[in-house]
Amino acid sequence: MKITQEIKENTVIMTLDGELDASSSVILDEELSDPEIMKYAKVLVNCQDLNYISSAGLGVFISHLQRFEDAQIKLIFYNMQDKVRNVFEILGLDLLMTIVSDYEEARTIANE
Amino acid sequence: MQLYKNNAKTLLATSAVISWLLLLVYVLLNAESKLAGAGVPGVAFPFLSNLLNVVFIVSVFLFQRLHTDMLKGIDFIGYLWNLFSKAGVAAYLSVALYLVYRVYINYAEVEYTLLLHVVYQINFGLLVLFLSKAFYIWRQLLLYHKNKFLQIAWDWFELLLAATLLLTLFNFNYTSYVFLPLLALMGFYILFLCTNLKWVAYLTFNNKSRSLVLLGAILLSCYIFVRFFYNMSDNESLVIDYTDVGFLLLAMLFVGTYTLAAFLVSLFSLPTSSVFEQKSEDLLNFQRLSLSIQQGQSEAQVYDMLVESTIKASDASAAWFDIIRNSDPQVTHVLNINESQIKSIRHLLQAYNIHNMDYINNNLGRNPGFRELTLPWKSMAILPIKTSKHLSGVLYLLKDVEGGFDHETVNVLRTFTSQTTLTIENLRLVSESLQNERYKEELKIATQVQESLNPKTFPTDSWFEISTHSVAAKEVGGDFYDFLQLSESRIAIIIGDVSGKGISAAFHMAQMKGIFHGLMQQDMAPSEFMKQANSALSRCLERTSFITSSLYIIDYRMQGFMFARAGHCHTLYYNSMMDDVFYFKTDGLGLGIIRDDKRYAAHIREMYYDYNPGDVMVIYTDGIVEARSPGNEEYGEDRLQYMLKQTYHLEADDIKYAIINDVNDFTGPDNVYDDQTLLVIKFRPIQQNT
Repeated sequence: MKITQEIKENTVIMTLDGELDASSSVILDEELSDPEIMKYAKVLVNCQDLNYISSAGLGVFISHLQRFEDAQIKLIFYNMQDKVRNVFEILGLDLLMTIVSDYEEARTIANE
Repeated sequence: MQLYKNNAKTLLATSAVISWLLLLVYVLLNAESKLAGAGVPGVAFPFLSNLLNVVFIVSVFLFQRLHTDMLKGIDFIGYLWNLFSKAGVAAYLSVALYLVYRVYINYAEVEYTLLLHVVYQINFGLLVLFLSKAFYIWRQLLLYHKNKFLQIAWDWFELLLAATLLLTLFNFNYTSYVFLPLLALMGFYILFLCTNLKWVAYLTFNNKSRSLVLLGAILLSCYIFVRFFYNMSDNESLVIDYTDVGFLLLAMLFVGTYTLAAFLVSLFSLPTSSVFEQKSEDLLNFQRLSLSIQQGQSEAQVYDMLVESTIKASDASAAWFDIIRNSDPQVTHVLNINESQIKSIRHLLQAYNIHNMDYINNNLGRNPGFRELTLPWKSMAILPIKTSKHLSGVLYLLKDVEGGFDHETVNVLRTFTSQTTLTIENLRLVSESLQNERYKEELKIATQVQESLNPKTFPTDSWFEISTHSVAAKEVGGDFYDFLQLSESRIAIIIGDVSGKGISAAFHMAQMKGIFHGLMQQDMAPSEFMKQANSALSRCLERTSFITSSLYIIDYRMQGFMFARAGHCHTLYYNSMMDDVFYFKTDGLGLGIIRDDKRYAAHIREMYYDYNPGDVMVIYTDGIVEARSPGNEEYGEDRLQYMLKQTYHLEADDIKYAIINDVNDFTGPDNVYDDQTLLVIKFRPIQQNT
């Protein structure tokens, strides 16, 4: 699992690369817990190279969901592979989280 | 032994005092008669005075020998201070005493011979005390780090020296030509012994300067005694001249020479002692680094030690340490350098492509890039802490002189960093293996819990068949299923998966089953159950955990079932009437994700479905559809659907075996990543007798 962060104006773009399982979810949790992130209004997560997500990985997103909502930070996922998206959908997370098809759409929704 | 020593000491002290007093009486009587009887001694027994003399010397020396034996340890300064404070001052006392006598004589303007004898005799006592104390303290130091040869040499020296007392005892003149060469040989022997000054090397710089003061004071004591006794030897009126005692001369020669040698060696080794101090500190630091694994220290503490030791070893004027976390450097341990300076140096290094590598530059001034930064440093060392595959930190050291990191220093620094790497690596391995051990133990318990919680048998009934399969993966635990007979014609079946693994998953699983049995006693609809379960779990589930579950209530009398899905896998269904295999794709959010009851209620759907005899329902956990082939492909819903299409006409057991075999074919042997649970329910035609 490789997580890279890129900052554009008031947006953090986080790119996930690889498999998000129990061990790598710890790294993701550290990244999302970073107080620096709270300074930005938008967090876009590029899931293009995310091949697999385990329940631990989902748990990390779930645990930060409420915190981001409270701080009015927009969390938007884009470029998600079908099988990963399926996992989000089965769990019902697609109704709680914003999952869009590509970066352009993510930008548009973020700027709303 | 101690008691014997104490007794012996008391005896020796008594004999010393008595012999000295007798000697004094003898001297005074002699002096008296000398004064009265015109130069002819009245009661002259040279043999007696010599005997008393020897007894006194032997008593005092043996007393000190026993006394010094009890001193232990390597507190050299303590020894020197002991010697000076308890014996060295005797010389100054004797001078004071003599001066007081002289002043009194001048004032009274009479030769008072008896008083002179008393003073002389007291000074003799002080001299012997000083010599004996010094002699045995020096023995203690001389024999520090001794070998067998040195011990034997010393024992012979003591023996030979004691033998010279015989000369005094029998009133031989040691200056006669027979003994002179022997005494000269003894002198050489003493010189040889005085070369054993190993203890001086162990003194730190500070201790050396203190020892120089003490040794100087002791040397002065020697000088005072020698001068006093040689001056007095010219005095005609003396009864006994102690300069005639060869033993005292040799003892003084030894004490004086050894003191002088120690003084000179301390003085000349003073400039080098800081180097040795540094070396021994480096060694100690190496040792501390390697010990830190056993002491269970953290990585942070090891880095503290590294930075502290390297700064001391290199005498760096500025430094900082980068800890690499997730491939990002974090600055810690900053010394005499500010953030913007670090930043500019880092930029420059990146520009030169000197990045996280071993790098020494002893002449920063010659580099135009560094000159531009106008930083006060002239040499720099970059030392990465890395193993073949992992970089855990980079150490930056700066010095304000050119050529600050010479070959020797760099070697020491590299040894430090490699030792640190080793320590860090070992620390990680140790903690990893501990973690693994704990993990294995936990999983074993979790597996046991899981096995004991899942029902082994389902009720057999005439109106449906059920077949179950459940296998726990090695690494993940959390699948569960259960049933509850609600009434004669109604049964509730639950399946679910707890996120996480180990003890906590097993614990939540048990909790969920408790909730199931507790709530279903009240016979509620599946959607209501999910809401209540979500509310109950919200209070005890940790934030990163959630549970997916599906609950089915099958009503045989109504020929239908109700179900609700909370984030669990879709239910696969075969409808015999329409001869169709499909998934019930309903909405439903996992439990514990939204902890607000009202909001959660909006996310749960309930469904009612009339079944036909011959219909097949397949419920399972994600371990089935997410099972992976060696080529990392997922088994998937489509393949599962296809399998049911092929097998729906079989009995529930056979359908289950067919699917499980197919999954196993797909993954290959021993390739279960996640728990796999599969329940196949087949509805039978209506029995006529019910």
